[in-house]
Amino acid sequence: QVSVLYFARSAELAGLRCETLSVPRQITSLQLWEEIVKVHPRLAVIQDQVVFAVRQEYVLLGDQLLVLQPGDEVAIIPPISGG
Amino acid sequence: MDESEDTPKDFIMLKSEKLSVDEVSELVVSPYCGAVSLFIGTTRNNFEGKKVIHLEYEAYTSMAETEITKICRDVRQKWPSVKHIAVHHRLGVVPITEASVIIAVSSPHRAESLEAVMYCINTLKASVPIWKKEIYEDEYSWKENKECFWANSEK
Repeated sequence: QVSVLYFARSAELAGLRCETLSVPRQITSLQLWEEIVKVHPRLAVIQDQVVFAVRQEYVLLGDQLLVLQPGDEVAIIPPISGG
Repeated sequence: MDESEDTPKDFIMLKSEKLSVDEVSELVVSPYCGAVSLFIGTTRNNFEGKKVIHLEYEAYTSMAETEITKICRDVRQKWPSVKHIAVHHRLGVVPITEASVIIAVSSPHRAESLEAVMYCINTLKASVPIWKKEIYEDEYSWKENKECFWANSEK
């Protein structure tokens, strides 16, 4: 079970800021995205623009294998605009 | 003179209250430094002909603080003479002309602090998880920094 955090446009599309999700302990980042889109289909429109932050490290959506621990934070990161 | 009493410090703050240039520059002033360089990011009142009413910022706060800490560490590697670094970023609603971000760096001589400030703001825009929403009269828009490597640049 991981904590999924939604920010900016992804929070608007998902309609929430945070939830727990059950996912396999080992999963590619793209598969993880697909799991999340199953729960929140409106997120599909931003697929080309987001990355994840897993345990606060950026991860691109793709083949990268994630090894997740219970309670890990996974954040959806739309294009940033700080400063 | 014992410079070891003035150990280099990073002052990182994300807050919703109005930012203060005086406060941020006072944080980095040091008797061993002849230079304090500052960058202030302020809110423009227009974008592509549309009137901007105000900005709203949100952040993945814990990760933003960590990323800014990494930027400070990089600054100290590149410019070892840099003394203190302060990065204050405002969250929530920021009215026009008020500051969204203030960065201050002190160093013995001016070249390092000037370069370090530029590096800080450029890297912040590329890597710190903070988002800006521009509120116009009839609509709003989530902005995307061109420095962001995962943004879709064709619109």
